[in-house]
Amino acid sequence: MSKLITMNVDGQELQVEEGKNLIDALSAVGIHIPHFCYHPALGFDGNCRMCLVEVEGARGPQIACNTPVKEGMKVSLSSESSMNLRRKVLEFELINHPLDCPICDQAGECKLQDYYMEAGLSKSRMEVEKVAKEKNLDFGCGVVHDQERCVLCARCVRFLRKYTKTAELGIVNRCDKAKVTTFPEKPINNRYALNVVDICPVGAMTSRDFRFKQRVWFMSSEKSVCHGCAKGCSIYVDHNQEKYKAERVYRFRPRENAQVNGHFMCDAGRLSYRKENENRLTTAKASERFEAVDIATSQAVALLSAAKGKAVFIVSPSWTTEQMAVAKSLATHYDGYLSGYADGYIVKGDGDDLLLKEDKAANRASLELLGISTDRQKLISNLKTAEVVVVLNNDLSLTASDKREFEALFAGKQVIFVGSHRIALADSAQTVIPCASYTEYAGVVVNVDSILQEVTCAIEKECFARRPEQVMAALSGNAIKAELGAVRQQLSASVPALAQVDWNAIPENGLNLKGGAQ
Amino acid sequence: MAVQEVKVLSAKYGIKDSRTLAVARAHGGYSQIEKAFSMEPAQIVEMVKASGLRGRGGAGFPTGMKWSFLPKGLDKPTYLCINSDESEPATFKDRQIIENDPHMLIEGIIITCWAINSHDAYIYIRGEFVRQAEMLNTAIDEAYAAGLLGEKACGKDFRVDITVHRGAGAYVCGEETALIESIEGKKGQPRSKPPFPAVVGLFQCPTIINNVQTIASVPYIIEHGAEGYRKFGTEKSAGTFLFGISGHVNKPGVYETELGVSMKGFIEDLAGGVWKNRKLKAVIPGGSSTPIMTPKEVETCMLDYESIVEHGSMLGSGGIVVLDETVCMVKSLKNLLYFYHHESCGQCTPCREGTGWIYKIVSNIEAGKGKMSDLDLLLELADNMEGKTVCVLSGAAAMPTRSYIQKFRHEFEEHIKLGKCPFAG
Ligand SMILES: Cc1cc2nc3c(=O)[nH]c(=O)nc-3n(C[C@H](O)[C@H](O)[C@H](O)COP(=O)(O)O)c2cc1C
Ligand code: SF4
Ligand code: SF4
Ligand code: SF4
Ligand code: FES
Repeated sequence: MSKLITMNVDGQELQVEEGKNLIDALSAVGIHIPHFCYHPALGFDGNCRMCLVEVEGARGPQIACNTPVKEGMKVSLSSESSMNLRRKVLEFELINHPLDCPICDQAGECKLQDYYMEAGLSKSRMEVEKVAKEKNLDFGCGVVHDQERCVLCARCVRFLRKYTKTAELGIVNRCDKAKVTTFPEKPINNRYALNVVDICPVGAMTSRDFRFKQRVWFMSSEKSVCHGCAKGCSIYVDHNQEKYKAERVYRFRPRENAQVNGHFMCDAGRLSYRKENENRLTTAKASERFEAVDIATSQAVALLSAAKGKAVFIVSPSWTTEQMAVAKSLATHYDGYLSGYADGYIVKGDGDDLLLKEDKAANRASLELLGISTDRQKLISNLKTAEVVVVLNNDLSLTASDKREFEALFAGKQVIFVGSHRIALADSAQTVIPCASYTEYAGVVVNVDSILQEVTCAIEKECFARRPEQVMAALSGNAIKAELGAVRQQLSASVPALAQVDWNAIPENGLNLKGGAQ
Repeated sequence: MAVQEVKVLSAKYGIKDSRTLAVARAHGGYSQIEKAFSMEPAQIVEMVKASGLRGRGGAGFPTGMKWSFLPKGLDKPTYLCINSDESEPATFKDRQIIENDPHMLIEGIIITCWAINSHDAYIYIRGEFVRQAEMLNTAIDEAYAAGLLGEKACGKDFRVDITVHRGAGAYVCGEETALIESIEGKKGQPRSKPPFPAVVGLFQCPTIINNVQTIASVPYIIEHGAEGYRKFGTEKSAGTFLFGISGHVNKPGVYETELGVSMKGFIEDLAGGVWKNRKLKAVIPGGSSTPIMTPKEVETCMLDYESIVEHGSMLGSGGIVVLDETVCMVKSLKNLLYFYHHESCGQCTPCREGTGWIYKIVSNIEAGKGKMSDLDLLLELADNMEGKTVCVLSGAAAMPTRSYIQKFRHEFEEHIKLGKCPFAG
């Protein structure tokens, strides 16, 4: 953190960080200056004029987004004249606005709406004809644009120029005919497109996927981590339980984290929330017949007890560190071999230098921390002599060659599949036990840059989806410890890199296991 | 004493083929190059400072001072941009320089490049100036052929290249940072400042932007020195100015006078007074954005920066418009606002939305559909639009609005009361 300086906001002395603009410096101490066009990741543009503030001694109102804080600076935000500055800009902003709030997805998280309510504007003085523009424009990549709702802050345009460097959008025309548009026949086409929906301060950019699905005020948000790849972008899991329906996830949104993903996330990761709702494994099997979970579990325990020393366990590289530790205990309990083999999770050429990683496993780093082997040959040689194979949500069918090879190796063996989704093994295994997926349990994962982050439980599923550690405890006949606190204690004691983790106070932005907390 | 023309910038006007290099040279063109190159660049900057030359593009900023804002010792090129966008209604003085004496501008550019250590000058010329762009290019070609421009400009060990960049028809591109964006090939819209172009300008490099007339004044200053230039004008408004006068006068045109002459005298002595023996109703003194003046204000006003400000308006770009008694002020304002609405680049909320809103209100009044409360609303909207935007185009729409309503409110009220235009036959 750089030097602190003292300034005065509405008569109150404050210490703020030197070298920042007013918006950032004050937001760090909890004061929000209304703004549209400024975005910390995109820099200032100065077009919306929403951030005009009164600075003592300055010639006229100043835009906070391009005003660096200075020692002794005096700023007024809540005075009547300062409020008026904002009211006037809002009045201009709204004269040609369609006031779609009742049918606008952004309602409830719209800056224009929020600032309007704050400013207490009431009566419209606009009696001339409004400017009409186009609505429901398909911009590509699932981005839908409404030109009438747009405040022309150019955030979307700047995002595609500065961040993805694909520049699909521009603002054409002048005056109140100005509008955001794509080039003819050239829709938005990049892997981060849906970020424009988040950075749009109003409802001018909406997501085809989310449109009209939920009013945002009905949803709850949990802070978690995307499991789409090894980057582990920080996210919000937005979910809701509608009457007579199961609770479900409606969207993922990036959660700001300077250590990991900045302000953004990729589209694939964002839309991977669907996997939490779709193709879920809900039924248990024993002896190739659908059975109750408990029956399937007892059957598995019987099989394992009979095959002591001859069982192989293959754990998912995306399970939490705690779950991996429990898997280790389970393997030890049955004197079996534990593998974290997951080459199939690596998709060559699929990474980029923004966020996306080739490795689609969320927690490969923990396999190493816990000393779980990922070696293919060792797994194969152990499988050759095994009688029972327990696949702990590791998808061995991700590549065609793995699928073929492991199917052959599993032939004639008892296969127990514990999983959250209906992958191939859910059909072929003789014993199947469903378990929760990552929006339904808590724990930690460590990303490709050794940053440990917390996964939180957003959704409490019914009994068919016990948490993986509960399933594993049951598979041990409740002989091993699976309770989170106990597992963590054990982790701190046995894994040097985790010795310092304060499990009750993991920072929201994660813990850098290489460099400590940031 | 009658107001008289002086011939500093317009010395070659009227001479046959004054546009050509040969004729220009025969009348003193490029005669100051030798002297300028014998001076230290800093000396020239000081001389221009001392001459009191102020920018002729509208804001009247002291030219030498602007040049001295260039950062020293930067490892980047410095660019010179000549603003020849000249798109403000009523302004048509720069095109006269290009049509009559482009070599004076080129000479000014060479000297300025030396003074500010720039090797690349861009002349940004209004898109509609097709003929003028051709003339300029012809003159530049001649100058290259004669070795005045190029790797060894005027035979010195100093490169000067000039590029003419044609605009695409946007008034806002006359604003210096919009001009820069436009040269860079982007949509012409002003940049938020700071940083100022003297520090971060064209291609992210230090850049000086000056008006055509400003730079064309430089050779004279070199020749006659700061004191020679100061012989013209007033203490604070030194030198001469090419005023363009149009509207309801007998002899519209461009006349060069020293600054500080009487506005009324100028209208009467040089432009032949209000036409058709009609009465004067109003004067726009310095391009369409400057607040309108009443005959009473015109009576005592002098054509210099200070006097016009004292009389509630601005010298601006020196484009004087004379309106006679038959003019409908509501319609006149509507006409101006149509322009500012159309030309707003649309990035700042108050300007993008405000110019359209006030245009529509004034249109309604003009059509007899106005309300009395519209007048105060217009005044308030003008306040809300001014001083709150990236560039002053928003203010340029607000200033006429305010002054028209304040000074000619009765005409607006009459439209509203009658439900129609009292001037419409
Ligand atoms: C909307 C707008 C249009 C302008 N148009 C012109 C123009 O056409 N020509 C010009 O010289 N200056 C114009 N200016 C002023 C320029 O921004 C700038 O101040 C000037 O070119 C500087 O040159 P000077 O110092 O020699 O006057 C305009 C300013 C604004 C805000
Ligand atoms: S669509 Fe949204 S982000 Fe883009 S310019 Fe409009 S308001 Fe700004
Ligand atoms: S980059 Fe990776 S972690 Fe981030 S959102 Fe995409 S898939 Fe998820
Ligand atoms: S004031 Fe008007 S013309 Fe100037 S930058 Fe803002 S919107 Fe564009
Ligand atoms: S946030 Fe400062 S002008 Fe838009």
